Amino acid sequence: MNVSLKWLKEYVAHQATPDVVAQKFLEHAQEVAHVKPLSTVQGLKVGHVLSCEKHPNADKLSLTQVSLGDETLSIICGAPNVAADQKVIVAPVGVTMANGLTIEKVMLKDYPSEGMICSLEELGIDKKYHGEEGIHVLAQDAEIGADALAVMQLDDVVMELDLTPNRADLLSMFGVAYEAAALLEAPLTIPYPTIEESLLSNPMKISTQTSRCEAYYGRVLDTIEIRESPQWLKSRLIASGVRPINNVVDITNYVMLETGQPLHAFDYDALGSQEVVVREATEGETFKTLDGHIRQLKAGDILITNGNVPIALGGVMGGFDSEVETTTRSVLLESARFHPTSIRHTSRRLDLRSESSMRFERGVDPQKTRYALERATALLVQYAGATVREGIAYFDHYERKDALVELSLSRINRVLGTQLTVTEVSALLERLRFSHEPGECFYVTVPTRRQDIQTEQDLIEEVGRLYGFNQLPSTLPKLNTLGGLSPKQRRFRQLKNRLNTLGLHEAVTYALVKKETLSRFTFASSADAVQLKNPLSEDRQVLALTPLNGLVDTLRYHQSRQMTDTAFFEIGKRYTTNEENDILGLALANDALTHWQGNQAHDFYRLKGLVDHVLALYGLTATYQAVTHESYHPYQCAKIFLGDMHIGHLGALHPSVAKTYDLKHVFLAEINLTQCELHKRVNAPYVPISKTPIIQRDLALVVPKTTSAQRLIDVIEQLELTHFKDVEIFDVYEGEPLKDTERSLALRLRFNNPQKTLETAQVDEAIETVLKALKKSLNITVRDA
Amino acid sequence: MESLQHLEAQLLEALKDIKTDAALNDIKAQYVGKKGHLAAAMQTMKTLPAEERPAFGQAVNALKTVLLNHLDSHQKALNEAAMMARLEQEVIDVTLPGVPFEQGSKHILSQIIERIEDLFIGMGYLIKEGPEVESDLYNFEKLNLPADHPARDMQDSFYIDEHTLLRTHTSPVQVRTMLAYGGEKPVKIICPGKVYRRDDDDATHSHQFMQIEGLVVDEKTSMSDLKGTLLEVARTMFGADREIRLRPSYFPFTEPSVEVDVSCANCEGQGCSICKQTGWIEILGAGMVHDNVLKDAGYDPTKYQGFAFGMGVERIAMLAYKIEDIRHFYTNDQRFLTQFKDDQGGLEE
Repeated sequence: MNVSLKWLKEYVAHQATPDVVAQKFLEHAQEVAHVKPLSTVQGLKVGHVLSCEKHPNADKLSLTQVSLGDETLSIICGAPNVAADQKVIVAPVGVTMANGLTIEKVMLKDYPSEGMICSLEELGIDKKYHGEEGIHVLAQDAEIGADALAVMQLDDVVMELDLTPNRADLLSMFGVAYEAAALLEAPLTIPYPTIEESLLSNPMKISTQTSRCEAYYGRVLDTIEIRESPQWLKSRLIASGVRPINNVVDITNYVMLETGQPLHAFDYDALGSQEVVVREATEGETFKTLDGHIRQLKAGDILITNGNVPIALGGVMGGFDSEVETTTRSVLLESARFHPTSIRHTSRRLDLRSESSMRFERGVDPQKTRYALERATALLVQYAGATVREGIAYFDHYERKDALVELSLSRINRVLGTQLTVTEVSALLERLRFSHEPGECFYVTVPTRRQDIQTEQDLIEEVGRLYGFNQLPSTLPKLNTLGGLSPKQRRFRQLKNRLNTLGLHEAVTYALVKKETLSRFTFASSADAVQLKNPLSEDRQVLALTPLNGLVDTLRYHQSRQMTDTAFFEIGKRYTTNEENDILGLALANDALTHWQGNQAHDFYRLKGLVDHVLALYGLTATYQAVTHESYHPYQCAKIFLGDMHIGHLGALHPSVAKTYDLKHVFLAEINLTQCELHKRVNAPYVPISKTPIIQRDLALVVPKTTSAQRLIDVIEQLELTHFKDVEIFDVYEGEPLKDTERSLALRLRFNNPQKTLETAQVDEAIETVLKALKKSLNITVRDA
Repeated sequence: MESLQHLEAQLLEALKDIKTDAALNDIKAQYVGKKGHLAAAMQTMKTLPAEERPAFGQAVNALKTVLLNHLDSHQKALNEAAMMARLEQEVIDVTLPGVPFEQGSKHILSQIIERIEDLFIGMGYLIKEGPEVESDLYNFEKLNLPADHPARDMQDSFYIDEHTLLRTHTSPVQVRTMLAYGGEKPVKIICPGKVYRRDDDDATHSHQFMQIEGLVVDEKTSMSDLKGTLLEVARTMFGADREIRLRPSYFPFTEPSVEVDVSCANCEGQGCSICKQTGWIEILGAGMVHDNVLKDAGYDPTKYQGFAFGMGVERIAMLAYKIEDIRHFYTNDQRFLTQFKDDQGGLEE
């Protein structure tokens, strides 16, 4: 809402500067987008063009003598419409124009120019408000030498309010005036129109067939003369951001801006009947709106008809055939109220959002419908020569029930944290002009202009904002509770810190991905994926099953910028129709030696070590099984298991898949952290350190390459040997003298009896059992020394 | 006796040329060995008169101690020299770079969230999380946003079906928590998490972003408590000297509703390009929980009240670090991520 502060002063008697007014609104009412003079140009004067001749040395220039009363200036003017005897706007030397240039005395083709004759555009008034080419010509009665901006009533400052949807009342100058009067504690005057009616009676019959039109008032006005509006009216419209058109349209707009009640004027003689019937459109019905477009209507759109054919799309736009034209002599003036939701649906669907529809959408004051009609009628009498038929044709289904709201002083203070007294609260309500009975409990009658106020809470907000939220003390809640992270939240923080320390960067990527890529990097099924009904693009259409999609994009971003040595993780989610699981994604890539001490390249085993590290945080040890997935290296990919439960996977990205992403040497892993959290084994009991020595034995075994190391470990662990502690693989050898199909694995077995030092014979016996078992189940033998 | 005195000087002279352990052993044998000079001297004792023998014996033993000391010292010197010789072989250029322990980085959004979480944990809050795929019921309806409310336009939200959408704020977590608390237990929580709006991505808009919302509900928590709490947030994130300003605003789920500005740290409130010459920067929205929201969550609004607030994590980060483009947070450029050291926050002792 653009508020003309000059106009505001007509209702509110105050001395505050524009900045003070704006500050009050900002702190107590609504956000102020800006406060700006309508024109920044100072020092403009009304000039009288005494003479105007063609410039001898330039075709398009004129030499003029312009009187400012106490002096006469020689001005060279380039506008084709300059002429002798005009009253014009003159910017003498020293005046700074809207574009920031300052007028100087100059020589133009050998002749001096001591100022400029101005167009409105040069004053900073956008062309859309006047459409004028060339200089602006003032009315003949303009006083020579006077301040030209003041003469035109453009010496105004505009405050633009960014309105919140609840404050529909501030979509009117009256509403703004009530607010300003409350904020500035200033007297308020609202004009009341008086109308003299003619002897001819208003023949209109008005009715509705839909509850979507709550009220409809119509007056018939004759002897209308369509002409330009007076300058003050045009200037107020311009300040309000509305383009002046002609006196009838301008007055309906002016009264809408003033009261918040949209009005419409029909060409009475083009109506085709003396009847108005409001009804809902039928599905598929068409209607030609005044902009010449044929509109497809839907059931529920509100139509104003003449009993037979539609004449307006109620609350949204008038009809083409009944538009007010320059030849119009009689008008039907409409002031009506329509159902806000219906107007919203219609105006959005047809993309016809106007000052009117916006006001209907937010709700208009039911007590201004008739008032606005009368206000506009009075102005049309004054500025369009109208005579008024006797009587208003109308219906109005509004039942005035005074909104009487109880407001408890103790609740005000409890909610705001204040110690306001009855007197203080009463004074605040007084400023708002809400009639009330003061007391421990106030009985407040809320005026209809404030449709947003219906409850005690609404009133507490009013009291609070007027008192000033910035006057409130700063305290903390008295509620004492324990604060802290949940175990899961703690573990996530630990996990992030650890992975950071291990050299991985945390990424945060988009959860929405392309449908085709859903299962590209994961074993999770795309069948349960969550798909958007209204995506913005194909690339962001479905919720991811793994953060690996985003992480691969991240690696790609880096590799394409020569950052080839990268390690990222993300704690993202697997979104399915039933649940959301936390998924850790790990993504490593490298392509080059990075240190003079040697290559520390990422590989499968480095990634596996990371996975083990993460699982250890949950007290978990996983097993791994080689698997295949079309996006991964056929021989370097494994599923991660906790017992029988698949909780993730890791692998080298298939080189040909990597190539499609312009990537090289990429290793990816995902771990379902929700499962890890469910199966965590933390808080293991304390075990005292063994006082007896640990005995270790190393075995070098020849193993077929087709037999996985895990199988050896399984065989050994399944023996459940007495005093067996653990087994680890500490070396792997392939090559001479082994066969191509073989490799050597070096195992270190450790034994301990905490009660008594083990004897060699006991350990020998255990090793013997191990070797027998390996021979028996896997046909594995000890490597010859 | 003179010849005995002479032996010490003679040994010292001889040791001057001894450079190896073997040579030292030879010398040792020559002087203190079984067939060495001292042994020979002891042999001469028999020739002495009986009364002189004890003194002579003592003199020889004393001399032996002296000689052994000299030999020992020399052995130590030889050892030291040998060690030095070996270490010289191990000379390195200490100015060559160390083996790097690559340090990863915590995402700046995580850093900001953790800092804010820590602040609120210190004030006795719990951290609550919830699903990102939400029902209309929790995302809108129970937040005083009934079916035909303008803020629920399809334009603004990503829908899965008629009743399911990607949450547009983390407020549904507040609703879920209140419902879980059963209408009686006081609530003191913050809810961080990802949210989604149907916006095209550009420098200031992102279809996915992070929010932190807070909620306190009990029988007495007031708007003044909200103001004090938000002042702590502003000071934690933007510096101890910051002030805040509350401006009336409108949200369906709170009343009174306010937008909160922090005094501009760049110009100390004097007005600059960052605060658009106003001295203030908007950082979050807040208010007292709407009666309808309490009611729908099972809390009696005549008895319970409280505040709620919500802030965009990216916005806080952008203001705190003067980051110019919201898309940086989701590009994850290492050169961006590594600039934010997780070294902020904490309270002075």
